[in-house]
Amino acid sequence: MAGYIGKRIVVAFLTLLLIMCITFLLMNAVPGSPFLTEKSTPEMIARANAKYGLDKPLYVQLFNYIKSYLRGDLGTSLKMQEGTSVSKIIFHQGKFTLSLKLGVCALALAVIIGIPLGCVAAYNRGKWIDGVLRVLTTVGVAVPTFVLATLLLVTFAVKLQWLPTLSGSLPDAKSYVMPVISLSFYYTCYVAKLTRTSMLDAINQDYIRTARAKGVKTRALILKHALRNSLIPVITYLGPVMAGIITGSFVVESTFSVPGLGKYYVQSVLNRDYPVIMATTVVLSALVILMNLVVDIAYKIVDPRITLTDKEE
Amino acid sequence: MEKKMKFSPFQVDADKIPPLTAEDFAPALEGEKAAMVEMHKSVSYWCDAWRRFRANTVSMAALAIFVLCLLFAFVGPTLIPYSYGEQYRASQKLAPFAYSKGEEKIRLLEGASDGFYATALQPGSITALSKGDYFITYKGQTYAFTLEKAVEKSVLMLYAGAEEPLRLVKESDIGSDGSIKSYQAVAFTGTAAEGASQIKLVRRVFPHVFGTDSAGRDIMARTMYGTRVSIIIGVVAALIVLVIGSIYGAISGLSGGVVDFVMMRIVELIYSVPEVLIVLLLQVVLKDPLQTWFDTSPSAFAHAMSDLGAGIVSIFITFALLYWVTMARIVRGQVLQLKKQEYVTAATALGASNGRIIRRHLLPNCVGQLVITTCLQIPSAIFLESFLSFLGLGVSAPMASLGSLCSDALETISLYPYRLVFPGIILTVVVLTLNLVGDGLRDALDPRLKK
Repeated sequence: MAGYIGKRIVVAFLTLLLIMCITFLLMNAVPGSPFLTEKSTPEMIARANAKYGLDKPLYVQLFNYIKSYLRGDLGTSLKMQEGTSVSKIIFHQGKFTLSLKLGVCALALAVIIGIPLGCVAAYNRGKWIDGVLRVLTTVGVAVPTFVLATLLLVTFAVKLQWLPTLSGSLPDAKSYVMPVISLSFYYTCYVAKLTRTSMLDAINQDYIRTARAKGVKTRALILKHALRNSLIPVITYLGPVMAGIITGSFVVESTFSVPGLGKYYVQSVLNRDYPVIMATTVVLSALVILMNLVVDIAYKIVDPRITLTDKEE
Repeated sequence: MEKKMKFSPFQVDADKIPPLTAEDFAPALEGEKAAMVEMHKSVSYWCDAWRRFRANTVSMAALAIFVLCLLFAFVGPTLIPYSYGEQYRASQKLAPFAYSKGEEKIRLLEGASDGFYATALQPGSITALSKGDYFITYKGQTYAFTLEKAVEKSVLMLYAGAEEPLRLVKESDIGSDGSIKSYQAVAFTGTAAEGASQIKLVRRVFPHVFGTDSAGRDIMARTMYGTRVSIIIGVVAALIVLVIGSIYGAISGLSGGVVDFVMMRIVELIYSVPEVLIVLLLQVVLKDPLQTWFDTSPSAFAHAMSDLGAGIVSIFITFALLYWVTMARIVRGQVLQLKKQEYVTAATALGASNGRIIRRHLLPNCVGQLVITTCLQIPSAIFLESFLSFLGLGVSAPMASLGSLCSDALETISLYPYRLVFPGIILTVVVLTLNLVGDGLRDALDPRLKK
């Protein structure tokens, strides 16, 4: 177990390193400079480059990045908030917390609503409620986040005026409603579909028949016996959900004007603020990789049948 | 005689069985023989799959709707007189099925005057007619005429019989009651000259079914065009993934050993990269270099790519770099499974090269999986493209995709929500039907997977 986790952590670090290299290469492949404005002269650009070490050879720059990241220093912003340290921008200006709040709420909603819906559908298999849920979830996974987000915005904020148009820094519970729903809708539907399928699989197993023969009540049968085993595919899906929620947050944060990390990432890419791009990419990737790691370990704890040495076939 | 004991209700009473006679052992007649032989015509894999697919009502319905979407995207633009990029004068911000002022006036003429209108002379169009020869085909007759000088403004062409001259009417010369104040007469010249251009007839003013946008462009024409762009992007991206993924997976699975190990570690690394972050970065990074390549490279390939635009090409590059890993994993799994089959061993023993084994034995056997995965890749590519276009990357104006149309609608969303609704619904329908068709294909091509 410890060996497996250790190995996975090493792989996670290697992945992060790879992501840093890719990001670095991509950033430097763009002709142009973060200091290029209408007024800047070549001398000014050269001076600024020297100040931030952008005149050094590329491998030295990359090495410096990695060295300072290992020390926990994410560098300083070159353009968007010149001179401010990036870790301050990400962690102390509330951007990370805002995105994290939205992400966690969306993840929770997907699990809390999706799993029971899947159970209900599987339990009522073939009845009208199963039909309704199947249509709803099938359509749900085909609606793009931005269409849903905008339609919610128009309906509930502009026309009905029940909810605020700008969610801003999420001051009250009302401002959470639309961003969280639009962020989690796809995943709620997907989790419900997944739960239904694996629940139906579990219900057909022998041990369920045994439990039923033993006289276990249907409710207990579903909740205790079937659900546990049918959760395994759902747990494995939570890793991709996390990545998807980060993606979704780019759209949702710009639609509802939430000044979170997703929105900031898009802006930093458009502004070519190298340290900010690098830091945001690394932080978000680390989040996804960590989530995948946790999911993989949790998955092996939940299902002891799965061997820990990850031999392929 | 004592009564025989009965052991079960199903036991046959031996006394009731009729005794066998010699006739019972007569040779079978020809007809009887033929009935016993169960020979079916051999059914090919695809016929069998199609039969199973047809039996699936949901997938068939989805396929039908998807074909309708295809018709909408590819045939639709030829049926309506508007084009996706053209800005129609005085037709800005029209609601669905609304007409601009000029169009309203012309509609007044529709009942009153026995004539016809011609495209290129569409109301509101800024297309003018240059000097030259033209012809019109009407009720099987060809009428030709020559324009002595160019017509600058948008005009209307009225026809009142073969003997009468053709009347070119300026839009501004039509009164609010439908009366024509003045017109320019053009005489017919008989047969059409060499190189004369044809003018298409339009009997009625065509409504802007989805309305128009703030620049006066017809939203339905743009939606048709956008659907086409989105579908093409989806299909091409899925094909790229198919080619790269299946070649990589086949090589990895077939080689085994160290090569397989290294290749799979690479796949794992790419798999754990959060691709959307890199995609966003790639979009920005690739735009300028691609543009300079388009502008400088003389090759035909670069020219073809430049028609697509840097945004779309970088979406393709992104797919080629990051999205093939799932396909590679699936193909590798299949190859590993098939590799152990006897016929592959036999082929190896007979001295077949690796390339031949891949081409002749492995790929045909995992074609079902390839088709399913490719089909399900299309909606995910469409999703990604619309997401990028929505963020302002991806497709750039005057081109349109379903995502960029939704994004354009955002600015005026509170006033004109239908501008988002139409492309949004079509995007949803395309993705939904492709998902359902993919599921149906999975059931049809790989019945073992069916739950």
